[in-house]
Amino acid sequence: MLVIFEGTSQVETTVRAVLADILGLSADRVAAFTPDTPLFGALPELDSMAVASVLTELEDRLGILIEDDEIDGEMLETFGALVQFAASKALV
Amino acid sequence: MTALRFDTYDWSGGREAMLRFGADAGPIVVAALPLFEEANRTRQFLVTILRALAVIGISSVLPDLPGIGESIVVTGEARLRDQRTAYAELTQQLGRNTYGISIRSGALFDTDAALTGRWQLSPQTGEDLLRELDRARAASQSARASDTDYAGNTLSREMLADLRDATPYAGTGPLRGVRLESDPRDADVKYAASPLWRRSEPDNDIALTQILAGDISNWIASCER
Repeated sequence: MLVIFEGTSQVETTVRAVLADILGLSADRVAAFTPDTPLFGALPELDSMAVASVLTELEDRLGILIEDDEIDGEMLETFGALVQFAASKALV
Repeated sequence: MTALRFDTYDWSGGREAMLRFGADAGPIVVAALPLFEEANRTRQFLVTILRALAVIGISSVLPDLPGIGESIVVTGEARLRDQRTAYAELTQQLGRNTYGISIRSGALFDTDAALTGRWQLSPQTGEDLLRELDRARAASQSARASDTDYAGNTLSREMLADLRDATPYAGTGPLRGVRLESDPRDADVKYAASPLWRRSEPDNDIALTQILAGDISNWIASCER
């Protein structure tokens, strides 16, 4: 089920910025990400070490805490899934 | 002689290597890289800052601490308290007005030193560092070498315990905290830049090094007044 939280666009901007910063991608490239853009498995820059960095940076910027058991392939599968996950943690 | 040169220093536990920049007079900076992988990602960046400081008349040293860099102490035997002792003894030996500058967990080393002031870029607590190490460990898909293997770093139980309680200096004296604009935590100033310590590959940010060298220089001048 797709839930739109108020404030999602701010979270989305943050997720784009984090991906750009951690993976060294250009602003143009991340600006072109759509909800269906595949991430883990599709971006060679996003290996398991980079995943750890992305999640920690999201925690720091959004003021959230991500538990180990919340991390699965689904939330990292697409840009939309990652934004959805981050928004569900960041927004009440 | 202001160009980079290699030197050593002695502390009660041995002799370590260090880089020296700038002249042998005036205020001197002791620089500290973060622990583990972030050091590799930010070394060139920090050295660029130190070179820039030398050009504007501020000398510096970038010491290896026991268990780091060229140290003959193996990583698995490194202890934060030894690293702090070595740092403090080096500071003592330098004799001049000494300012500590650090990046991320580098802020954990100068707590016992008699520094004139401390300048910290995105300081990190030992607890946060451990959290990231645990996460990198969980994310690692390759077979773990042992229970003490943290993303390729062998950490003793003692070092882990050291880090668990470690926080940056919280005593008296000039303290300047610098963070990136994307970081919501408190700071004296924030600059718009990318966190190099999080990048997969080592990188540099020349524009930011110039800004930070200026920031450090102005801050030292205000401390010397």
